This record gives sequence, C-alpha cells and structure tokens, in this order.
Amino acid sequence: MVESAAPILEVANVTKRFGAFAAVNDVSFKISDGEFFTLVGPSGSGKTTLLRMLVGMEKPTTGELRLRGKVINDLAPNLRPTCMVFQSLALFPHMTVGKNVEFPLNIRGASQGDCRTRAWELLKLLHLDPNRYYDKNVTQCSGGERQRVALARALAYDPEILFFDEPLSALDARLRKTLQKELKDLQRSTKKTFCYVTHSLEEAMVMSDRVAILRAGVIEQIGQPDEIYANPKNAFVAEFMGEVNLLDIIVAADGTALWEAGRKTIPLTLPASAGALEAGAKRKLLIRPEALRFVVPGEVAGNTVPVRILNQFSLGSRVQYHVEVSPGCTLTVERLREERSATAEAVLGWELADSQILEA
Amino acid sequence: MSDAVPVPPKKSRSFGPGAVGLFSATPFGLLMLFGFVAPLLCVVWFGFMPPKTFSLLQAPTLENYQTIFNQTYFKSILWSLGLATATVLILLVICYPLAFAMAKIFKGGATFVTYAIATSLFVSENIRLFGWVIGFMKNGVVGGTLAKVFDLQVDSLLYNIPVIILGMVYVYLPFMLFPLVLGVKMVPDQVREAAFDLGASRWQVFRKIDLPLSLPGVMIGSLLVFVLSVGAISEAKILGGQKVVTIASDIESEFTYAQNWPLGSALSTLFIALTTVVVFFALSRFDLEKLLGKKPSE
Repeated sequence: MVESAAPILEVANVTKRFGAFAAVNDVSFKISDGEFFTLVGPSGSGKTTLLRMLVGMEKPTTGELRLRGKVINDLAPNLRPTCMVFQSLALFPHMTVGKNVEFPLNIRGASQGDCRTRAWELLKLLHLDPNRYYDKNVTQCSGGERQRVALARALAYDPEILFFDEPLSALDARLRKTLQKELKDLQRSTKKTFCYVTHSLEEAMVMSDRVAILRAGVIEQIGQPDEIYANPKNAFVAEFMGEVNLLDIIVAADGTALWEAGRKTIPLTLPASAGALEAGAKRKLLIRPEALRFVVPGEVAGNTVPVRILNQFSLGSRVQYHVEVSPGCTLTVERLREERSATAEAVLGWELADSQILEA
Repeated sequence: MSDAVPVPPKKSRSFGPGAVGLFSATPFGLLMLFGFVAPLLCVVWFGFMPPKTFSLLQAPTLENYQTIFNQTYFKSILWSLGLATATVLILLVICYPLAFAMAKIFKGGATFVTYAIATSLFVSENIRLFGWVIGFMKNGVVGGTLAKVFDLQVDSLLYNIPVIILGMVYVYLPFMLFPLVLGVKMVPDQVREAAFDLGASRWQVFRKIDLPLSLPGVMIGSLLVFVLSVGAISEAKILGGQKVVTIASDIESEFTYAQNWPLGSALSTLFIALTTVVVFFALSRFDLEKLLGKKPSE
C-alpha cells in the first residue's frame, strides 16, 4: 500500500564478511518513506548484522547503502539521521527518565526549556505521565515503561528512520501484544519510517507493511504479510510462519504424487496450481493445520488418509490435534472446538485447493 | 497502631541469623580490636604524654601539639598531600586509556597486561626504587648511555621533585589501574553505542556516559592511591634524597633518631585525622553507594 512512495533507504548488493564467513550475502531491498518494514529471520540469519550496517555500527564489505539517494556507507552513526532502539534498550542508568529522553536534544545544544517541553510531549505521547515519570530513575521503571522511555528517547532524536532490534523480545506475551499495537499506532501517527528486526514472524505480521525473510544472510522472500502468508516461496518461509504441515512428496505422472510418510508411501492427488512437474522431482506439499479436517464415512475430499490421534491440545476457541499417519510421520490439525468426539482412529482429508507445492 | 497486633511470644533460645553472624564475626572482631583499634588508641593517647617519655601512665598534656603548631611540620604535611594529589591526577590520566583498552579492546591481551603489571608487585617496592636510582644516578644507566652514545654529559637526575612523583606514579600504578578496569567494565557497550547513535560525539560519549558510569572505579582507585601515597616514605627518601621531607618521614624520625614517641604519636594522630577528613570529604562529594547501586540491569 505504501510501495508507490519514494524509497528512503536503498540497500544495494550489500555483503558483510567476517573472515571467510558472509553474515550478509548480496542483499538488496528498498524501504519506502513512511513504511513499517520488518526484517525477520531465525538467530544467525544475519538480521542483526544487517541492522548494524543500516545504523552505521558496522560497515558493509561490499555494496552500497543509500539514504535518499546519498551513499552513507562510511557515515558514523552519530552523523546519520537514523537511530535505533536496542534489544537491551540501552537506557542511561545514571539518568532520570526525563534526562534520558532529553539526551539527544541536549547533545544538539537545545535550551533547557526546549528540552523539557519536548520530553514532556514525548512522555505524554508514549502514555507515561510526565508528572510521575520525568524525575523517576530509569532503573526503577518496569519493563514496559522502559520500552516507552527508550522509544521516547529515540523519537526525541527525530530520526528519518527508526530502527528496532527486537526490543520487545524480553517482555511477557500480553505486554508485547499491547506494545506491538501501540508501536503500529505510533508509526501511523508520526508518519515515520520504521524498520524492525525480529525473529518472530507473528510479531512482524501484526505490525508491518512489508516483511523481508532472511535465512543465512540471504533474503528468501520479501512482500506484504498477507502475500507471504498466502504464497510462501519455499518450505523455509512456510515453516517459519508457524505450525504448518510440510509433506515430502515425489511427483508422479498426471498430477499425482507419492507421499513418503514415514514407513508408508501414500499416493496423493496434487492441486491444479502445481502445473506440469517432471516426474520424480522432489517437492514439499504445504497444508495448513486449519485446512485439514476429519472426514466421516461417505464424505468426499480431495485427498484422504487414515490416521491415529495421538494428542489433543486446547487453544481456547480451537483444538489442536497431533495425529500419526504412520510411525515417524505426524501431522498437526486445528479445528474449531466441539466438532468431533475424540476417537483414536479417524480419517483425515483436505481439499486440493488448500494445498500448495513448494520447492524442497 | 491503635489495634496493635499482639506481639508473638519470643522464641526462647533460638539463634537468629543475627546471632550466627555475630558469632562468625568474632575472630575478625577480636583481630581488629587487638590489632587495629587498641594500637590506634595507644597512639592517640601517647600523643598526650609529656615529650620524650616512654610511659602511658602520666598526666595528659597538649605540649606535643603546641610543638607541632609552633614548628614547620605543616610543610611536610603539605608536601605529602601535594605529592599524593599529583600522583592521583597523573595516574588517572595515564591509567584511564589503558583501563579502557583492557576492559573493552584488548580481549585476550588484557590478561597478559594484567599479569605483566601484577608481576611488578612481586618485587619489593624498595628494590624497585633502588633500580630507578641506578638508572638515574650520575653515570647511571640513563646518564652513562647519553654520555657514551650522544656524548652528552648529564648530572645525576635524582633528588628532585619530578623524580619523586615519577617513583610514586610507578609504584602505585596497579592500585589505580585495576579498579579503573573494573569501573570501565561496568559501562555496557550498548549504552555507549546508543549515546553515539543518538548524535553524541566521541568526547560527549566519554563525558556523559563513560565517565559517570565508571565513576565507582575512578573513586576507588583514586582513594586507594591517595591513602597509600599520602603515607609514602621511600620514594621521597630514596629518589628524592632529603630534597623533600614528607610527614611520614618526620614521624619516622621522631620515633627513631629523636626518640620522642609522644611527638611522633601526636603527629600520627593529627595526620590520620587530616587524611580521614580529606577522604570523607571526597566521598561525600560522590555518592558511591548510589553509584554502585545504580548498576544497569542489562
């Protein structure tokens, strides 16, 4: 939705090597002005290294970083109009909340009065009552409050792009959800460009306009969250998005395949979207847990397979089942509550359109 | 407390944690009592005895203190305080960069530097000082080399104030360096990076982040060096000849050559009091407890 806007930051063929190891390998993407962009990847995927280059704490080995068309590879962090919220937040422990927020203004030589006014505004914006918090020591603040102080301090710098290095990862789930929404609201109201780094795709999905998924220093897929959810490019992206079923299949002739399900080999019909595939090619078949259902005798489904129910877990409104197709091959099924009585033996089925062929 | 909760009956004959602590502290308490408090009280009391006597059982008098104020002992006191202050300041300037490098840059090399510096403590202070004497005396290592290589005739480089300070700086360096390293280690890297990222220059990061956050180390190092060097005696004697008389050497001569224990005791008492005042004044300026308590949780 914001992709039409001019790119504010351009990453062109950036590589970062530590010795022989390439932490970031020939990565290119653009961030648009006013966008909420998120870099997602498991630990070791190079996302933190990439972020550190974007803020200027590391220099790319090769490639260019361009901010509004200007190359900024060698510009030190204190001279860049960008700023970062650290994972540890990196608040100044010897200063009060107010002094923390005022720090960037103070550095710029703003007057005491201006600093105070701005800090007061920002604390209010972040839902921290300035009367209570301005003189409070940061070490006495709770986790959520410290997040807000760090955010207020970064906003006081008035950066063109605000970077985030997983600042919410240390919080409990409920507070994290609240702050995710607040962060999104804040990004909308301030119209600033946010670039967020996280290992949780769920977190990325909630907040971002666009998401880039990193693996081993390479971007696997980049796009809007819905787009990625609907069309994951490969098995890695699909798996990263949460609990999905990925079936190892070998393509046979005529839109059919053999599923190597543990000790069994089960013939399957492939979805029409698969197109023409060479016989014998190895692929993954993606089926989401909610696309699987238990079929009653006589009911028609695209594919059916007999299973044994191993376990069931309540997820609130839904129930998750772990079912065994054959020893060594289990699937995850998610159904709405009270849809069936639990018997050990069942038949599982899914519609062809609900499955997708992915590169192995 | 109108509707006071009834006080639970005291458990009889059970040892609370306080009692156990007191019991465990007894050996140390006794040691301090006989090894530190008692001799100190003796010294203080001896200061009030008539001059040139050797008994504690006489009528107290202020005669010794009158002698001190009528003579020029204040010069020695000022020398001691001045030399100690100079040593502290020079060591701060020398050690802070090294401490920073050891805490943040050297990584494995820091251990080597630590051992290298700690090794110098294995040799007695006086022996090391005599080493300097051989280096600096007329036709010594320095003078001899200059004469041979550059045909430059230098007189003895000893027996002046800079060389005394050099000796003190050298001897007390470890006592400044190691607390400083710990102090600098207390500054989290990300906090420094954050300040830099928020627009601070390197100097501003140092002044607003590094220095205040490493202040506990700075304070401990400075106090340690000050207290040690204010009572220093060998540097002024060995390297300084009799150029400068420190208060410690005044006190020594009263107890030895002059055989005037009461005067020596009075000088000691006065000097202990003075050092205590200086140190507590410095401590009150910096709230060390608060600084140490404010350790970042990251």
